[in-house]
Amino acid sequence: MTALHTRLFGLLATIWGGVLIYFYTTMRVKEYLAPDFHHLIMIGGIGIIILGVYSLLNPSSETACDHGHAHHDCDGHDHGHDHDKNSADCHHEHEGHGPGITYVLTLLPLIGALYFTQDKLSNLGLTKKGLYEIPNLTAPADAPPFTREDLEKRIPKNANGEFQLSLVTAYYVAGDREVEGIFNNLPVEFEGRIVEEKVNNENGFRRRIYRSMITCCAADMSVVGISLEFDAPSADPPNETWVKASGILTFEDIKGDRLPLLKVSKVVATEEPYSEFLLRE
Amino acid sequence: MTDVREAQLQDGSFEFLAIFLEGLPFIFLGTLVSGFLGTYLPRNAFEKFLPKNRSAAILVSGLLGAIFPVCECAVVPVIRRLVKNGLPASCALAYMLAAPIFNPVTAISTYKAFNNSYLVSGSRLAMGYLIAVAVGLIMARVAHKHFLKPSALEESHEHQHPRTLSAAMNNSLRDLMDVGLYFTIGVILTSLLKTTVIDPTSDFWKGLAENSLAATPAMMILAFILSLCSTSDAFIAANIGNFKYGPKLAFMVFGPMMDAKLIFLYSTVFRWKFILFLCLGLFIGSGALSLFFEHVIEANWNQEVTP
Repeated sequence: MTALHTRLFGLLATIWGGVLIYFYTTMRVKEYLAPDFHHLIMIGGIGIIILGVYSLLNPSSETACDHGHAHHDCDGHDHGHDHDKNSADCHHEHEGHGPGITYVLTLLPLIGALYFTQDKLSNLGLTKKGLYEIPNLTAPADAPPFTREDLEKRIPKNANGEFQLSLVTAYYVAGDREVEGIFNNLPVEFEGRIVEEKVNNENGFRRRIYRSMITCCAADMSVVGISLEFDAPSADPPNETWVKASGILTFEDIKGDRLPLLKVSKVVATEEPYSEFLLRE
Repeated sequence: MTDVREAQLQDGSFEFLAIFLEGLPFIFLGTLVSGFLGTYLPRNAFEKFLPKNRSAAILVSGLLGAIFPVCECAVVPVIRRLVKNGLPASCALAYMLAAPIFNPVTAISTYKAFNNSYLVSGSRLAMGYLIAVAVGLIMARVAHKHFLKPSALEESHEHQHPRTLSAAMNNSLRDLMDVGLYFTIGVILTSLLKTTVIDPTSDFWKGLAENSLAATPAMMILAFILSLCSTSDAFIAANIGNFKYGPKLAFMVFGPMMDAKLIFLYSTVFRWKFILFLCLGLFIGSGALSLFFEHVIEANWNQEVTP
């Protein structure tokens, strides 16, 4: 690697590290990664920048010969070269790509992605992640039987006495007739983003509230959504707004599946929580 | 541009950034380790630690993930450098393929994702280990030049290289650039496929779950395209449709060993022809073994393992 190549690669590494630091300092990282990974982004970014700046300042001052010495088999041809014993400088041809192609193939997609992303999935993307599907949730195996006492003890209430239930819990209890009896006709409040309802909505009275769940990053995201039934067609608040939806939790049978349904009394816009995502446990 | 195309562009960019941001720090960690190993680790240092018998060494290498847990992104630059430093390629292969599965983090996440099931977690680790050492044992009989890239082939040479911080940093930088480039290409491919080809909510995909012949290959293809981290893929597998245990196991074993971004990372060490054969072999091996595991578990424990 020549000194110029080392400098160019050092600059590129500094840019990559800068991108990580940018996402961390602007907190855009929380739209992409689980909170456990946020500090990792900062540490990784700083590390890459240190490596890049070091290489910019010390280009090839000492270069270990770290590539292969494939004298005997180099894609069918030999390439002879002399070694100066104890030399710190090996002038073999390095098989890796040059700075030009590395810049083009890494920076162009990165710039393109930064330009086109809206830090969230489109409705089409959310649909593929299960927005309008029945989630196949993993119920906690060690959960004790749920009773009314459990409900009162575990689930907090808002100022109006409504249980602040998670969308996931509503799905857990659907179908379990015994537990469902405790939750049926319960005054609850859900928090999430609101979107249009695309299934089981012939009269247009319904919308949908959803939360995204991740483990590591948005690439492993899945979406849990529940139908909201209004008294009349409603477009307020607009789609994708964070809302708190209050009402009575009920359950309905749709094509053989038992699904939760919130009969809405009130929907109000609310502040976006720190993280877009619920973490899978 | 149509609305669908705009949405795909938005989603593809989002997916690209999510994987890039998650993976780059691990790639950096791997290349930092590889750079310093390449500079300071004496050649053939592994001969002191691994059993002299090659088969035993491969069996031990497959277990090293339990002590040195690394994800599939970070492991590639590390083994790339270790092979140059004299680690037998067959041992490196066994470690590379097993480590993302046979490690405590993956074991716990799989256990949690499948309702605290030792059976699922244990069978995933066992199957990952078996396949990894099988590949190692097979490749131990093949000359390195047939599957390693020329740049990864090492030949003992007399001259000494500097063991300095500067040399280690330069090695790390070079590895970061090489691996980072292929990682980026892999992430582009993954994002493209995820946003344009695969829709797990489609009727076609749901129908595959009911087809016992197609379900396992389908889940492995899905794992290849989704390119998930091995620490989180169990949660996705557990919650994907009505697929049975066998296909889900295939998803969790094949995915960490071979996916759309990994093939490009592997290409920094291995010849493309070998990567294609490896992909095919892993596909067949993971598919067959997962069905075998499903059969054994259902027969002996009289239960269907579902989340």
